[in-house]
Amino acid sequence: MSAGPALVSILRQGDTLVASIHTALDDSEMIRFQNDLVHQIGEHRARGVIIDVAALDVLDSFGSRTLRTIAEMARLRGATTVIVGIQPDVAYAMVQLGMGRMGAHTALDLEEGLAYLSSMRNRRRRAAP
Amino acid sequence: MGTRSAARRRDSRNLSWRRAVHFGAGRHVCRRPAPSSRATTGCSFGGPGRPAARMVTAVTSGAAAEKSSEPGGPDEDVAALIPMLRRIVGARVGQHPAAEDLVQETLARVLAAKDRIEPGMIEPYAITTVRNLVATMWRSDDREQRNRHRLHDPNEPHDIEDSVVATEEQSAITEALGRLTEREREVLLAHEVSGRDTRSLADEAGSTAGAVAAQLKRTRARLRVEYLLALEKVEPPTDRCRPVLLALSSADRRRQRELDAPRHLLECDLCARLSAPLLGRGPTREDEVHVPITSDPDIVAARQAARELAVRAGFSGTDLTLLATAVSEVARNIVKFATSGDVTIELLTQPQPGIRVVARDTGPGIPDVDRALEDGFSTAEGLGLGLPGARRLMDEFSIVSERGRGTTVSMTKWFDKKG
Repeated sequence: MSAGPALVSILRQGDTLVASIHTALDDSEMIRFQNDLVHQIGEHRARGVIIDVAALDVLDSFGSRTLRTIAEMARLRGATTVIVGIQPDVAYAMVQLGMGRMGAHTALDLEEGLAYLSSMRNRRRRAAP
Repeated sequence: MGTRSAARRRDSRNLSWRRAVHFGAGRHVCRRPAPSSRATTGCSFGGPGRPAARMVTAVTSGAAAEKSSEPGGPDEDVAALIPMLRRIVGARVGQHPAAEDLVQETLARVLAAKDRIEPGMIEPYAITTVRNLVATMWRSDDREQRNRHRLHDPNEPHDIEDSVVATEEQSAITEALGRLTEREREVLLAHEVSGRDTRSLADEAGSTAGAVAAQLKRTRARLRVEYLLALEKVEPPTDRCRPVLLALSSADRRRQRELDAPRHLLECDLCARLSAPLLGRGPTREDEVHVPITSDPDIVAARQAARELAVRAGFSGTDLTLLATAVSEVARNIVKFATSGDVTIELLTQPQPGIRVVARDTGPGIPDVDRALEDGFSTAEGLGLGLPGARRLMDEFSIVSERGRGTTVSMTKWFDKKG
């Protein structure tokens, strides 16, 4: 990626990947982010993915669609995706735009997202034996 | 130092003297030599019209003076002056490159005047001469310094290409002037070249100064357009080109809007190219942003520009996001369906505060606009939410599409709407 501050960061915590988008991404950067993330799910054997979009001021149709695609791909790779930090204005714009149904689980913030993932893990563990 | 080298030095000085002769005649750029070459500074002193014959005398006698080891020569007493003259000159000019030239010049003058000088007075004569020479040198140096800007002509082309370009420009101007009407040309030349003010021109024509000024403004605008056309040696391909260029040149926004100038610039390559120097004309407007869209990153640039402008207009959080999202959608449509286009964002004050976004492209056009505005209709892979979504995000929305020519989407968001 080009010089300058990182546009996104993907951190691992246990079996969860925390991906933060730091600034507005253009379409090709968004696609690159999608590929990176899906690749890293396999690399780290992640079971949960949290995408933090708190820094985004706009989630247009393409951005929403990419997030949805990521969630679908992650699900196919065996990981649960939670999108956290959608700003109220962005949420309003998304509803207006007709993008209300994300197709991925959403949570208010990182904490809620992690809690959701651990509850999912517990449920799976209980179901397994 | 032998006779030959002294002679060569004299030659070069002679040359620089000849250059100095040109000083009075016209442009003469006196190149200052590197400090080490002390021979060529002669152009700083010495008057024009010095006979060359005397120079020769000076050369031989100068050489003789330097070979002062043989006593009893005719100029023995003159040669004896050399150490003293060098001291005097050294004390006055130090390591100046012309120091030795000053000494030699003094010797030449003393030799030339020797017959007129009373015996015993040769030394004071030499001292006065050398002093005067030093003073003359400083004076002429100073004068040259002061007048250097007069010698420099910034418009004078130096390279051969430059002069060709200058000729082309000149002929383009001539042709452009020729395309004006007789009356326009007369008034323009009277004002610009002869320097007559608008009032006297108005009296002559029986109109007012303001009218003449407005006419001059129009004439200049036309001249600019004709000049650009003449320079490129092209005729505009369509009959819309000239009016559009004229509207741009005169920075007439109303006329530009009437002619839909931005769309024409997108469609017409020639005008797009020619108009580049015209676009900056007129006062730059704070309340308008123009973002050309050709690739992905431009989408982000467009929505950020819209956001910044809207913040300045006092839009609040939610509206900002709605606006930015809508701009993003229309800009994305340009990237996705047309190869190039632009987004213009302008603040409105009438009939109420708001912001208008106009997205133009030169793409294939939308075959069925009504269907394109339905949710879920999409030709490219996508959700089909771009246009209908943008329509929902904004307060006003209109779309004009012509097959094969492109699409224009205009949408407006009002500021003081509640909610």
